[in-house]
Amino acid sequence: MTTPRLAWHDVHAGDELPPLELEMTATRIVAGAIATRDFMPVHHDRDYAQQQGAADIFMNILSTNAYCSRFLTDWAGPEARVTRLAIRLGVPVHPGSTLRFTGRVTATSEQGAEGLVEVEFRATNELGDHVTGTAEVGLPLGPDGG
Amino acid sequence: MAEPSTLQERLAAFVGQPVGSSDVTAAPDPVNLPMIRHWAAAFEDANPVYTDPAAAARSRFGEIVAPPLMLQTWTMATPTITGIAERGGSPVDNPSGGALAVLADAGFSATLASNSEFEIVRYLHLGELVSASTVIESISDEKRTRLGPGYFVTWVTTYRDESGEVVGRQRFRILRFKPGAGGP
Repeated sequence: MTTPRLAWHDVHAGDELPPLELEMTATRIVAGAIATRDFMPVHHDRDYAQQQGAADIFMNILSTNAYCSRFLTDWAGPEARVTRLAIRLGVPVHPGSTLRFTGRVTATSEQGAEGLVEVEFRATNELGDHVTGTAEVGLPLGPDGG
Repeated sequence: MAEPSTLQERLAAFVGQPVGSSDVTAAPDPVNLPMIRHWAAAFEDANPVYTDPAAAARSRFGEIVAPPLMLQTWTMATPTITGIAERGGSPVDNPSGGALAVLADAGFSATLASNSEFEIVRYLHLGELVSASTVIESISDEKRTRLGPGYFVTWVTTYRDESGEVVGRQRFRILRFKPGAGGP
């Protein structure tokens, strides 16, 4: 059995990553908070979140990082190694919104046995940019990875 | 020794110092498949190198690896659920004054996360025990922001394996501001 993967020689600056669109339900937000061991009530208790001035519960940052990583490796495949993920945080993610990731390759380079891909991306919802960021992903070079 | 007088001087004393009461936080559990599976299910991340031993063995990783952005999860404090709301969401009793307490006492009590930057040095395998140490890297001068006057506080968490080798770093920046002091 083979697993889908991205071949290094097929990656070029300007390539667009397949968008990732997520319907953000309360269940998705709470599941992410607990799976990342973040028990702050603003991420699972609507009454508490509203007492704090938020419109509703909102997604935690560990979940944002998790979805960024998934967006990258859904495209780059199981041989990929995420080496850097830098995000600037914007509007919150509440239940009932749609979060859409888009991104593109900005540069490629080779370092040792690895091909490095620079990506810039953003995730937006109805309120604006939830995150904008850059990442670096390593792919294997050589006969098996090329 | 003269007592530092200004807020800026008091804040400067925290730069380069650990955040919180202890220098190093050890993960309560080693990297393990049940937590990885829970994480992968929550985010519907189907990458087989996280949960499928056979697929992971065929990959360049050679065995199961933890999702790289799970790094922070391993060292999250095991929470005391009772009273968590009354503690403002802090998972455990947190008597550690520090820069954030000084800012809160000066009225800069609200927090907005601004930036997160992860560097993943290497992927983790099952059974590895991670520890984290967090140091304040910088505290800005007072800035005018759209939310009101505030200070940007940046800290760097260094994650290490049991041998002390660095496996990753996270730089995290927040804005501490005076709630309700923003523009129209």
